[in-house]
Amino acid sequence: MIVEETLVNELKQLETQAKAFEVLVNTYKERLYWHIRRIVLNHDDTDDVLQNTFIKVYKNIDNFNGDSKLYSWMYRIATNEALTFLKKKSKKLRVSDTELQDKMIDNLQADVYFEGDEIQLKLQKAVATLPEKQKLIFNMKYFEEMKYEEISNILDTSVGGLKASYHLAVKKVESFLKED
Amino acid sequence: MNKNKNTFKTPEGYFEKFSDTLLDKISDLKSGQEETVLPKEGGFTIPDGYFGSLHANIKNRLDEEPSKVIALHGRQKFYYYAAAAVAAIVFLTIGIRTTINETPTFESLAKIEIEDYFESNDLGLSTYEIAEVIPVDNLEISDIIDNLLEDENIIEYLDDSIENFEELNLTDYEY
Repeated sequence: MIVEETLVNELKQLETQAKAFEVLVNTYKERLYWHIRRIVLNHDDTDDVLQNTFIKVYKNIDNFNGDSKLYSWMYRIATNEALTFLKKKSKKLRVSDTELQDKMIDNLQADVYFEGDEIQLKLQKAVATLPEKQKLIFNMKYFEEMKYEEISNILDTSVGGLKASYHLAVKKVESFLKED
Repeated sequence: MNKNKNTFKTPEGYFEKFSDTLLDKISDLKSGQEETVLPKEGGFTIPDGYFGSLHANIKNRLDEEPSKVIALHGRQKFYYYAAAAVAAIVFLTIGIRTTINETPTFESLAKIEIEDYFESNDLGLSTYEIAEVIPVDNLEISDIIDNLLEDENIIEYLDDSIENFEELNLTDYEY
């Protein structure tokens, strides 16, 4: 278990920075990877966003004032990076956000790094129909099993609001899966 | 014979713990039901050894980045200024001699250019400011009545504008 405060201090000092950054990457890489992957779906895009996230953390560590947990701060950066990445992608392809989501799901079927069965693919389709914020909340609560308090710190939303949004998201996903 | 005399016993603290045990069981049941419908695994995989090489990849990118900055030497700067000056003179000369026949109009702008402008520039308009510039004459009361709000729009609006969600006294859904 790493002591967050010590790690932040080490990241801010030139002589300990390199080693501390390695510890930071190794500690959070998997959690952040899966968080990003559930937003952008494809491995190569996830790799780009994850690397950008860590580079941003490295370059902006001096601006981290400790108001929130380092972990929440990094999650917030990763979320913003992933959403910005998708916005840029839809702009580049000149398609709407919904069309991009459809395209991403279509690509998932041919993705060598997706081995989901029919129901898992349908689940991804169902999640793709959710509005952006509900999608984030659903992924963080359902797949990542995060506590409402943690999600609240990351998304800056009240716990009550999160519970209501999650409830709505689950209902929508369930009814999508029960169709046919 | 006293019919009401209770000969049965319960474990110590049974009733004190009962409500907690029951709630735990209900929540287990609920999550059990969800799992029958929703798979917990996403089906995503990653290339072999990906996480092992991630730190090295990021480090390489960090090491590479400063080298991308190319300093402009004095001589190059001089050429840039000279080229810019020549271009400015040519542009001004042509501009002064040519009479502009038509001024660009709002209609002549491609729709996509306007959309691009709005997308790439944060105009920082509040809803009140937008309401001020949209003429009321163009709105019909049916626009508001016929378009019923979806639950999620209401939740999103409340999320953004209500500080204390609990004040609304909504039913608390716990999953």
